[in-house]
Amino acid sequence: MPDIRLEDVHKRYDGIKAADGLDFSVRDGEYVCLLGPTGAGKTTALRIMAGLTEPDSGKVLFDGKDVTSVEPEDRKAVLLSQTYSLFPQMTVAENILFGPNIRNWPEEARVKTLANMLDLVRLTRRSDAYPRELSGGMQQRTALARALASGAKVLLLDEPLRALDARLRISLRHDLRSLAKSLRITTIHVTHDQDEALVMADRIAVVRNGRVLQMDTPKEVFDRPVSPFVANFVGQSNFFQGSVSRVDGSIEVRDEQGRKVFARETAVSPGEKVVVGVKVGNTEIAKEREGYLQGIVERILFEGRNLFIDVMVSGLGRFSSRMPAVKKGEFAVGDKVSIRWTPDKATVFTLKDKSLDDELRVE
Amino acid sequence: MKRIDSVIDFISGRNFRKGWHVFIIAFFLIFVILPTVYILTYAYTEWSAIESGVLDNKDTMDLIMGSIAASFEIAAIVTVIDFAVGLPMAWMLVRKKFRGKNFVDTLIDMPLAVPTAALGFSSAIFWATTPPAMNAPPFAFGAITSPMLLIILLHIVFSYPYMVRSLSAILEQIDETYEIAGQTLGASKLTAVRTITLPLFRAGLITGIILCFSRSLSETGGTMIALATMANSAGFNTGPTLIGTWKKLSATNPELVPQLAFVSILLIIVALVLLIVLKVVVMKVRLPMGKVWPTPEKILSRGLVPKLKDGSAIFFLAVFVLIPSFFIFTFVLTSSPSVGDWGPFAGSLGYSFLIAAVVTAIDLGLGIPLAMYIARSGSRKVSHALDVLVNVPLIVPTAALGFSLGQFWTDQSLIPSVPMLLIIMAHVAFTYPLVVRNVAGAVEEIDPSYEETARTLGAKPVQGFRRVLYPMIKSSILAGAIMAFTRSLGETGATQAVVSDVVTAPVYIVDLVNSGQYYLAGLACIILIIVSYAAMLLLRYVTKKKRGAI
Repeated sequence: MPDIRLEDVHKRYDGIKAADGLDFSVRDGEYVCLLGPTGAGKTTALRIMAGLTEPDSGKVLFDGKDVTSVEPEDRKAVLLSQTYSLFPQMTVAENILFGPNIRNWPEEARVKTLANMLDLVRLTRRSDAYPRELSGGMQQRTALARALASGAKVLLLDEPLRALDARLRISLRHDLRSLAKSLRITTIHVTHDQDEALVMADRIAVVRNGRVLQMDTPKEVFDRPVSPFVANFVGQSNFFQGSVSRVDGSIEVRDEQGRKVFARETAVSPGEKVVVGVKVGNTEIAKEREGYLQGIVERILFEGRNLFIDVMVSGLGRFSSRMPAVKKGEFAVGDKVSIRWTPDKATVFTLKDKSLDDELRVE
Repeated sequence: MKRIDSVIDFISGRNFRKGWHVFIIAFFLIFVILPTVYILTYAYTEWSAIESGVLDNKDTMDLIMGSIAASFEIAAIVTVIDFAVGLPMAWMLVRKKFRGKNFVDTLIDMPLAVPTAALGFSSAIFWATTPPAMNAPPFAFGAITSPMLLIILLHIVFSYPYMVRSLSAILEQIDETYEIAGQTLGASKLTAVRTITLPLFRAGLITGIILCFSRSLSETGGTMIALATMANSAGFNTGPTLIGTWKKLSATNPELVPQLAFVSILLIIVALVLLIVLKVVVMKVRLPMGKVWPTPEKILSRGLVPKLKDGSAIFFLAVFVLIPSFFIFTFVLTSSPSVGDWGPFAGSLGYSFLIAAVVTAIDLGLGIPLAMYIARSGSRKVSHALDVLVNVPLIVPTAALGFSLGQFWTDQSLIPSVPMLLIIMAHVAFTYPLVVRNVAGAVEEIDPSYEETARTLGAKPVQGFRRVLYPMIKSSILAGAIMAFTRSLGETGATQAVVSDVVTAPVYIVDLVNSGQYYLAGLACIILIIVSYAAMLLLRYVTKKKRGAI
């Protein structure tokens, strides 16, 4: 199975930069998620890899070979659209055999492939059904089987779980990943759902405005985001703006009113204007304890397993904290609380010319 | 097998595809658009001929202006009437449930199956005062003496179905919940419909108006026959009938060419200007729909009024559309048979079929690729421009189109001006858009991800089309083909205007009526009706089957 490399790929549509210097590699057999907000250019990246969209400039390499102008049918990279695009006039079996039929495989090979594929996706008993007669999950499995039967070496999945209901979506995450991993197929999976990406990917590429902001393992992307946008998009974050007042082991950041917070050490120098970001799950609030900031509980949201508490800090806005639901009852709206975090869990970012709002905007 | 594979490989190559697109667009521009409007150049190159032959000749000028004015007046009146009576009918068909609805639904389309030449004959016998030699059945209405009124009545018959179909198509897409929401908010039925649904109607309205208007403006054969059938219609002409008559005379009198050119140019320009104006007016102008009159509208929404409205819609369909369409059957049954020579008619029918078949084949072979290009591959600007251009031959009156095209090909002498070839090219010009629009519409409805997925699964573009897309749009292709076929079969104006002395079936019927052989003309009409109706049934059968399957 090939490794894939995109080199400085650019694509514009009517003045919008859908790919603005995309540059990343996917290793052989790896499961990579392209994660980003709607309109970030994820699907464009996928289509460029599939050969359905021709980049304005830049190269696409499969196993080191330049395939930029190779037709989609010759790439063995199968695209699965959001709706699976099962051919409505064909049965499950005919859909699966589409690739082999097109390539004129010998009868024997076709029969064998069909049987294997039906078995693999547990659809042997539904082989004569039409796509519209299948449940969402079965349709997805049929589409996968069809892709595999065509001899796909690369799977390009465009929001493959989007059309399914919430519960099924979560249970299929595991099935999809283990199938791809067991067949050692290089998989690129586009999603805007950060939980999905965190659970499924070997590595995540966070995409925005046609560029990859960060590409790393889920843990690294979550714990060590490279920008406030990544920090906020992959697991919501709270932000504090100020200037570096001290650097020793940890970094002390102070705002104009003299409030100070601490964060993990990074290469910044005293006096520099920075933003401190900390995940809502690492933001602790307490009633009887000193903290970095003081505020008043504004809203408490109970979301099953977790409790979300919004605290209004005067002059800074809202800080959110996520905690296990067992803490329910400890806080009430109107309570005065303090906010703090372990310095090691907070990251310092420098903003060049952008305002924080611009940086965080999800188009 | 090997050879087929290498052909597929060849035509799937990028260079071939590019060349093919260029060829398809070039064909469309050179063989369809250019000949259609070519005659406009005549105004530049031969202005002096027009000046001396037309502008300086007061009688000719009056005749031309009178005919063209009559054409546009008729088209405008017909369109307004069609809208007024078509809207309640469309409403009934989409929103109401009643016994016999399917039956009414089928009846609406019936006039479309009848070639206009036959319609013209049939309607004229029913409505108009006819010469005594004709022996019209005693129960015919037989009292219309104004040629203009007769033509209006005739044009309503064949344009009415277009209006009803366009309006009901858009009505089906408008969600009824808007109206229901309006009613639960306290509006009466009429108020809700008028202020909420009707403003959403514009697109359907434009299609309906353009179709009705251009059909009425174009119609030649039926109009000529109706005028020939009626007693004392002498001197009345519409633009297209004038072209037909003069083209015939021009075979012996070449001085008529400037006059023909002038009529054609006027018809083309006015039709195109009207198209643009209509689009702008209907899309841009905001009618003061917001105002409400709760009490009167409430009264009008209940009791007798709605029933009266539905009743009169049905009455109109029966008396003004269906009876005139099929009155010819009673005429043939009540007349005393006369013996005639069937040879020429059989010959002309065969000739018409051959032409219609070749035309349809060309339309399909070159129209589907253009439709694909418009719907799929082209850059947005190019495909939008093509999409607009495709409508041009539909709007231009076919007689003017035929004359223009005939001049174009004889002037260029690129191809031998064999009559049959010219007729085929003329018919391709005005039927080509029917196929392109049908197919492009169908392809646009289908998510491109099907073909794209097929390609990533290893299918070449041709294979993707053949195995994935084609099965999904088959019925629209067939619908386009049948429309093109029947339009070609029934066309008189373009045929007469492109070649003066060739006899297709409708032209032959016109000749029969002109020479007073009414019984034969009637029988010939009935044969034409039956053949067209069979094609229509096939279309219904196929489209029904498609609806059942998905």
